[in-house]
Amino acid sequence: MKKLIEVKNVVKTFDNTVVLKGISLDIYENEFVTLLGPSGCGKTTLLRIIAGFLDATEGQVMMDGEDIAKIPAYKRDVNTVFQHYALFPHLDVYDNIAFGLKIKKQAKDIIDQKVMRMISLVGLEGFEHRDVTSMSGGQQQRVAIARALVNEPRVLLLDESLSALDKNLRKEMQLELKEIQREVGITFIFVTHDQEEALTMSDKIVIMRDGEIEQIGTPVQVYNEPINEYCARFIGDSNIIDGTMVRDRLVRFDDVDYECVDYGFDKDEAVDIMIRPEDIDIVPRNRGLLNGEVKSVLFKGVHYEVIAETASGTSKTVTMHITKNQDVSNEEAGEKISASSFYMDLEDVASLTDSEVIARANAQAWNKDDEFVSLTKVQYDVKPEVGTYPCSFTTDAGTTIRININVVQPQVIEDESNEEGIQAFDFYKTADEIKESVALDTDLIRWADAYAWNIEDNSRVEIWDVKYDFDDENITEGDYQVTFSTQGREIKIETTDRIEEGQKIGLKWSPEDIHVMRKMG
Amino acid sequence: MEQKTKQYEKIFLFLVFAFFYLPIIYVVIFSFNSSKSLTTFTGFSLEWYRKMFKTRTIMESIWYTTSCAVIATVVSTIVGTVTAIGLSKSRKALREAINQVNNLPMLNPDIVTAIGFMLLFTSLRIKTGFTTMVMAHIAFCIPYVILSIMPKLRTLDPNLAEAALDLGCTPLQALWKVIIPQIKPGIISGALIAFSMSFDDFVISMFTTGPGVNNISIYVYANVKRVNPTINALSAIIVYVITIVLVIINVVPMIKERKKKKNELQNI
Amino acid sequence: MKSFSKMVYPYVIWAMAMIVAPMLMLVLYAFTVKGNSVLTFQFTIDNFIRFFSDPVFPGVLWRSLKLAVITTVICIAVGYPSAYIIAKLKPNSQALMILLITLPTWINMLVRTYAWRGILGHLSMSGELKVYIGMLYNFLPFMILQIYTALSKIDPNLIVAAHDLGANNRETFRRVILPLSLPGVVSGITLVFLPAVSSFFIPKLLGGGQYVLIGNLIEDYFISTGDWNFGSAISLIMAIIILASMYFTRKLDRKVGEQEDD
Repeated sequence: MKKLIEVKNVVKTFDNTVVLKGISLDIYENEFVTLLGPSGCGKTTLLRIIAGFLDATEGQVMMDGEDIAKIPAYKRDVNTVFQHYALFPHLDVYDNIAFGLKIKKQAKDIIDQKVMRMISLVGLEGFEHRDVTSMSGGQQQRVAIARALVNEPRVLLLDESLSALDKNLRKEMQLELKEIQREVGITFIFVTHDQEEALTMSDKIVIMRDGEIEQIGTPVQVYNEPINEYCARFIGDSNIIDGTMVRDRLVRFDDVDYECVDYGFDKDEAVDIMIRPEDIDIVPRNRGLLNGEVKSVLFKGVHYEVIAETASGTSKTVTMHITKNQDVSNEEAGEKISASSFYMDLEDVASLTDSEVIARANAQAWNKDDEFVSLTKVQYDVKPEVGTYPCSFTTDAGTTIRININVVQPQVIEDESNEEGIQAFDFYKTADEIKESVALDTDLIRWADAYAWNIEDNSRVEIWDVKYDFDDENITEGDYQVTFSTQGREIKIETTDRIEEGQKIGLKWSPEDIHVMRKMG
Repeated sequence: MEQKTKQYEKIFLFLVFAFFYLPIIYVVIFSFNSSKSLTTFTGFSLEWYRKMFKTRTIMESIWYTTSCAVIATVVSTIVGTVTAIGLSKSRKALREAINQVNNLPMLNPDIVTAIGFMLLFTSLRIKTGFTTMVMAHIAFCIPYVILSIMPKLRTLDPNLAEAALDLGCTPLQALWKVIIPQIKPGIISGALIAFSMSFDDFVISMFTTGPGVNNISIYVYANVKRVNPTINALSAIIVYVITIVLVIINVVPMIKERKKKKNELQNI
Repeated sequence: MKSFSKMVYPYVIWAMAMIVAPMLMLVLYAFTVKGNSVLTFQFTIDNFIRFFSDPVFPGVLWRSLKLAVITTVICIAVGYPSAYIIAKLKPNSQALMILLITLPTWINMLVRTYAWRGILGHLSMSGELKVYIGMLYNFLPFMILQIYTALSKIDPNLIVAAHDLGANNRETFRRVILPLSLPGVVSGITLVFLPAVSSFFIPKLLGGGQYVLIGNLIEDYFISTGDWNFGSAISLIMAIIILASMYFTRKLDRKVGEQEDD
């Protein structure tokens, strides 16, 4: 194959923002190239530079070895299918397609011949004189393709051209586009953010991120051997695990060594390990490379998607005191008031506000008609040291309730192997509050003020699991244990076998299913 | 569309604007003339402004014009809004019929509409005067209000009102708290159109008003035969007011925007 | 939300009384001679025969139409390039220019026309020319605004697409921008031609009384002569001519859109 387009070190800046950071790319004749990346990665900008709608700030675009910077868009041997097609609303199907040929002042019979050939290529026979604005998305798309191809360009550029179509139509058009490309035998440069589209149609995929190219390769290459976590996540489903390279062909994660086929890394180099969900087999417990417990099973049609936990997260257990209803009623004013004592972190005392005290104590007052009454007075005197302090809430009518605020040292549990810390506080609730909760897990996290974080960078870590063994419908007074934990090591598996949630299983794969990648810079 | 503007294009645009502003500047300058002449500027004076404020008929015409415009704007905006919302939920046939009827005063020349009103009032033996003028103004303003609100209603999510009812609003609350705020820009522009149409109207006012009740336009029309520089002063004042109002309408949002940006920068 | 549809009823009654009824009255008067009572209604087309057999009236009608057509053509000739130049400016300057064009239109038409009277009063030119200047001054802003709106609505991608398909700037204008802006021109024509035909105070203020148009004729028959039946007939003739010409203009717009190729 012959090299057709050479993009050399192209840089593009808009008002001081660098959109393309030195892109170099070779495109050959007859190739179907896909520029793949999320919105804002610069793929459309690159396309527009090739089309001639934008000028590169630095670098060159060569076609057949000649710099085309000086050639205006309307003289380039390149045509574009626009994202929203940009069909001329005042022209019908035929005239839209004939537009470019009429500009070139071709003879009427030749125009007619070429247009009709294109109309049959894209399957729009009989629609020649339709109004383009009244056509469906798929039909407009075909007109746009025909309008570009009729000019016999050497390169066809397609800017997110399928994104406006619905899913089924999109799949149909993917096949059709590939078919058309084979038939006309020219280079297609296709821009998309849809990895499936890229895998189906392309000869070559260019994965872009933040104005740079991450990886160039065939669909099989980028799927099987992504060069880093970004590319692996962008294409297909994957388990990506932090690990270290023990030596060539041996990698370690969660304190266990696994064989692999990768080599050429430094000793003890931190790496990302990728295992595709479909490459993992479920085997009986203790028969695989590691054991796990099934957390969830989702039916996906052709297979089940199983999530198994192979290592537990960081957890902290607190006591929930269920007390009896302590509503205070004020017969005179016909009001009732309720509130609970609460524990709080010593560190939070400094920033305590009235509304926060009301929220933490879940203080509320209401009248005979069950309408809420505002708490106009909140009194407390909490010192920044461990101890128990009284607090009272009062309404305008003088209805008052007293509670205690227990200031305690935070009890932190840190798990070195997970690099996580977690803290939570004991708390008081009434049985009714538990029964009335519509989202109990979330409420428990809030009531216990449970919080988990990453020790390395102090970033927040989600509380993944709340465990308790009481029956929330029939809870009575007493003390209960509630355990909060973060997410452990979870591995996604695709299987056609029927697996139950909670089942203990073993997981197995062969060394070549592990793909080791360098950490991203 | 953005392209470089060429020199001859700039000159062309300048000439067009000169044409637009020449008479306005002329009127303003000669409103300060010390003599009665409309051709030579003999010296600066505020004589004509003083005279204008002393002429009872002029002050009356300003009063009539303003009060008529205010009443017509308020009434036509309310009726137009209510009708437009109703129309958006009506059968297509009724909607089409009303649109056709509304087209009549908008497509007919003013003079034809005006004569229609005059014939109606006299054959019903209604004495023409301020009331009939206001009624006529309301009648020709409502179609414009409806016209400016309908597009906003058309782009409104049809489920909005249902969502409001679902969340416990009465139909009236749904209207007031959900629909009206959504179409507010349309209502405001409708009211502005109504006000300026009523304020500027001459033809319809002339045929529907009665003796002694003149608006500014009628006054100018009736008094223009003689040389009368008080009209210059009156015109100049109108120019000042409109310039100030338009500048405020357009500049205030710009200043707000800039302040907002400044605050955002400081907050970073 | 069906209950909202009841909100239309008050206006239906109002529109019957204040829009439909006056028009019916006008028609009634136009087809009767003398007397304005519905009870003594006698159908006649005498008023129309009188209008067209008179030596003066058809001439006045013709003159009014000619004036309106020429005014409209000049407005397009000046307004289109103005709007096009403005639409090419930066967004901020566009907003400013549009504000500057809108400002004079907010000033009372009578006052604006009066202003020209002062300037033109001591210039020796024909009354007809002065009337044309007054017409152009009053109506040009509407034409510019309509065309500008149509131009600014054109999707910039269409212009990029035209370049992509090999059209240079001139061809892009001829084949894409011009046809897509025609609806703006048509609504501009509606806003200029229509009031121009019926205008009566511009000729009266600037034309010096000798320049009689159909609007002046109607005014005379209602205000001075008091022959309302004949005045109504003239109004009806004018209204029909205007509605017919609007209809053809819109039809023409569609045709031009279809033929815009070869």
